[in-house]
Amino acid sequence: MKIKKANAGALTNFEVLDFLRSRGAAKDPTRVIAPIAASEFKVYDYLVESAACNQTRESINELLEKCKKYDLAKAEILNIINIRPASPVEIDPIIEESEKRMGEGIEDLIEMVTTVLPPPPTQMNTEEEVVAGDEEIADGEQTATAMATEN
Amino acid sequence: MFFLSLIEHTLRLPPHLLDLPLNEAIKGELESLFLDKVIANLGLCISVYDIRSIDGGFVFPGDGASTYTVEFRLVMFRPFVGEIITAKLKESDANGLQLSLGFFDDIYIPVHLMPNPCHCEPDPENKSQVIWIWDYQEQKFPIDGLDEIRFQVQSVSYPPIPVEQPKESKPFAPMVIMGSLDYDGLGPVSWW
Repeated sequence: MKIKKANAGALTNFEVLDFLRSRGAAKDPTRVIAPIAASEFKVYDYLVESAACNQTRESINELLEKCKKYDLAKAEILNIINIRPASPVEIDPIIEESEKRMGEGIEDLIEMVTTVLPPPPTQMNTEEEVVAGDEEIADGEQTATAMATEN
Repeated sequence: MFFLSLIEHTLRLPPHLLDLPLNEAIKGELESLFLDKVIANLGLCISVYDIRSIDGGFVFPGDGASTYTVEFRLVMFRPFVGEIITAKLKESDANGLQLSLGFFDDIYIPVHLMPNPCHCEPDPENKSQVIWIWDYQEQKFPIDGLDEIRFQVQSVSYPPIPVEQPKESKPFAPMVIMGSLDYDGLGPVSWW
């Protein structure tokens, strides 16, 4: 066995989830018919509960465009897409020296992340209590369109 | 967390697979060879992403099977140092915590990488386990198994396969991730 290229590209959690879904992981409740191994199903179970389950290719492309002005490292953008931080304290371990490099830009970045990427199912319950009125409807519409494009 | 790796491998296709289309037969063989196995310094193989090229098909003298040289890409699980991952608590004892991702269990948070200061107390429900509690500004935050824990990857190591192992010890872990909770925003999600 020869390793031609140890690193042929990084994948976000969403891309791996999409790959497993395209092979039929989501549609098979019995988990026997789809051509997916049991170990791959465990990865699917983990990813479906993470922030990646509601994302779409378009939302990730949009996030990448908007992140360019913040001058973040590739690893930091990957972390942000995988974790979907919703507050400055969650951004802190992701971006090194966040106060020095961005100062007040952190608030803008968080607002952009929370509007562009849909919240994961566990966060959605707490966010609905905090966010009021119009924004709640906008979130609901966004998740509805995300689910529609995936189906 | 996940990377693609380009691998070339010389593969012997057993004769009983000769009735399947070539792509499927090779994919099946690759999956049984690589899936859920750890390759040193590359990580845990999650799945076969695609097959780039298939070469060969020679039959060596005296053998009933054909041999192919296949170039393909694998989805590997290999977190980089500094990555933030959310995992569930599996065990906690006096040496630290063990976290699990469902498909990968060997994630350890040693005592010196726990949030400072903290102490452990014996768990009232389960005698062999302890609960770790973080003392911050005179408030106590326990690490219980209820919600997910965010940690930062400190190092990924691949210990060499031991020749002999005493019978009662844990099964050998070919890939071990050390994590740290010692930073703002890390630890159980409910803390923040």
